[in-house]
Amino acid sequence: MELEHSFSVPVSVERAWDVLLDVERVAPCMPGATLDEVEGDNISGRIKVKVGPITMTYAGTAKFTERDQAARAITLEASGKETRGAGTAAASVHSRLLSEGGQTLVTVHTTLNVTGKPAQFGRGVMTEVGGRLIGIFADNLASMLAAEAPGAADVSDDEETSDGNVVALTDSTPDEALPIDVLNLSTRAWSSLRHDGIQTLGDLTRRTGQQLLAIDGVGPASLADIQAKLADRGLTLASAEAAGPGAPPAAPAGPDEVTQLPGASVADLNGAKQAAGKHAGAPLDQAAADGGEAGEDLAEVTPLRPARHESPAVQVPVQREPTAWQPPDNDAIDLLDVAGLPVLKRAVPAAAALVAVLLVIFGLRRRARRGSR
Amino acid sequence: MIPAKFEYVRPSSVGDAVSALAGGGEDAKVIAGGQSLLPLLRLRLAYPELLVDVGGLDELRGVSDGGDHLLIGARTTHYQVVHDPLIAEHCGLLAEAAATVADPAVRHRGTLGGSLAHGDPAGDLPAVVLALDATMIAAGPAGGREIPAAEFFVDYLTTALEPGEILTGIRVPKLGSDWGYRYEKFHRTAQAWAIVGVAALVRRSDGHVAEARVGLTNMGAVPIRAAAVEAAAAGAQASSQALREAAAGADEGTQPPADLHGAPDYRRHLARVLTGRALEAAAGV
Repeated sequence: MELEHSFSVPVSVERAWDVLLDVERVAPCMPGATLDEVEGDNISGRIKVKVGPITMTYAGTAKFTERDQAARAITLEASGKETRGAGTAAASVHSRLLSEGGQTLVTVHTTLNVTGKPAQFGRGVMTEVGGRLIGIFADNLASMLAAEAPGAADVSDDEETSDGNVVALTDSTPDEALPIDVLNLSTRAWSSLRHDGIQTLGDLTRRTGQQLLAIDGVGPASLADIQAKLADRGLTLASAEAAGPGAPPAAPAGPDEVTQLPGASVADLNGAKQAAGKHAGAPLDQAAADGGEAGEDLAEVTPLRPARHESPAVQVPVQREPTAWQPPDNDAIDLLDVAGLPVLKRAVPAAAALVAVLLVIFGLRRRARRGSR
Repeated sequence: MIPAKFEYVRPSSVGDAVSALAGGGEDAKVIAGGQSLLPLLRLRLAYPELLVDVGGLDELRGVSDGGDHLLIGARTTHYQVVHDPLIAEHCGLLAEAAATVADPAVRHRGTLGGSLAHGDPAGDLPAVVLALDATMIAAGPAGGREIPAAEFFVDYLTTALEPGEILTGIRVPKLGSDWGYRYEKFHRTAQAWAIVGVAALVRRSDGHVAEARVGLTNMGAVPIRAAAVEAAAAGAQASSQALREAAAGADEGTQPPADLHGAPDYRRHLARVLTGRALEAAAGV
């Protein structure tokens, strides 16, 4: 399967070149990837892919086979093996960097090959998922590069990646530039946030808890999880006041994607929310607890989203980039554990028969000896 | 193959099931008929740590008449759906599609709710409940909530259900006697997944199509409505030619998968042809 992605970042070609070759910085952009070791051009690591109930972890190696600084071309060959199965995945990624008046256009051409059970069972899903992963990777990379550019806050990146996501832009502190993938949120929460245009930690910290709860698919449990994980990085969500009138718009708005309801009463909002098919509940209680500001905040807070969004989604929490094959670290089947008792039961009659035969032989020999005396 | 190790509980009430599921976190999974989940476990594609068996919850089983709608318990098996008189009378499309699901053994164990919550794009019933404008009813730690079918299917094998939520039933609006329906499924062997499936509902009046609804199976990561066809068919003459013309837009906005069973273009072609057939049959022409 061949995949094409491209994105542009507001930094010079030289800068982008340096970053792209810095594996340890690029790695976190790959959803679900963990680096184990980097030695020169050889990289080893794991990537965990989760699709609904299906979870697969690939461990393997990747190697830069081409670094042509003059032509601004990079080729990365990666191959991995399932840690709990016999499936394999291999990717050959060719990147080209083109200077475009101060910006850099990055094109990524990937040849992806997935074999084994996941490939068969998935009826083609796996390759598609692989394609989306690379799409998300490209998005994250673009966000990261954009965030690092001097004056990035003013530069806007309008290039669309092939799966239709507009690359988000961020300013401010390094942590805030990280993609939300680094939080390892649940698949649902992660994809819901992304649907709502939240790509980086910075996007998250500019929302209030209520704004997040108003997003379909983010419940109180997910919110608590997000808050805890942000706190680990010394970040917090915006407070209700800070997110008040001056807060940034809640989402990249499609024509009717975000409806603000200035001055609407709590009761109206409740009705509106239900009409929009959301689960009402916690946000309103919290709003009530916030007292006088509640009405105003809610007005700011409630993006009404009609129906479903088109967009990225299959997701992949936890680790990083394909990499060095390691012995499967988990679960060989413990046969005795699984089938201990039945095996014993079957063995008992055989053992008893053997003992009986031995006794008879022993008896006969003793008799024979006595007889000969 | 033997599945990886997991804990197993079989609660006796929905409340217990919800709390068991919530206690298990991300790695807990509901098992009903097990006809999709068990193969995943045995192939070691899924490694849940806790299975919550809803097999003991008889309250989730059966069909009841709710006035203008039918309430179908999530644990109702495909076999029951096929043979239920209320479903046959008020939303026969569901019975017709359920009769095409896999083979008799699977239909006796597999459940309607399980099939929907699994969210397989090649499953037959998601597209059908989408065309029927059904509503999913879920129970969770924060109480119950209802999710329209149009918002329920999020992605491959992913639904709008939160990790701690259980699908308890679906509500299907009753269709009047002026509605015709048809589920067209294309597959190579009798018990196989649909390469493409089309669920069509048509309301006729005076030789015209007053309203048409079309749901497509396996034409993307989630079942979708063929909006272009619905718009083109509404108001059209109830004739073979008019309906086939309306069906020409069946693949608009779809992203059919490529796999061993067919290339995307092949699926697009199938969608157009099958939609034409389904509309004709549903309109009775």
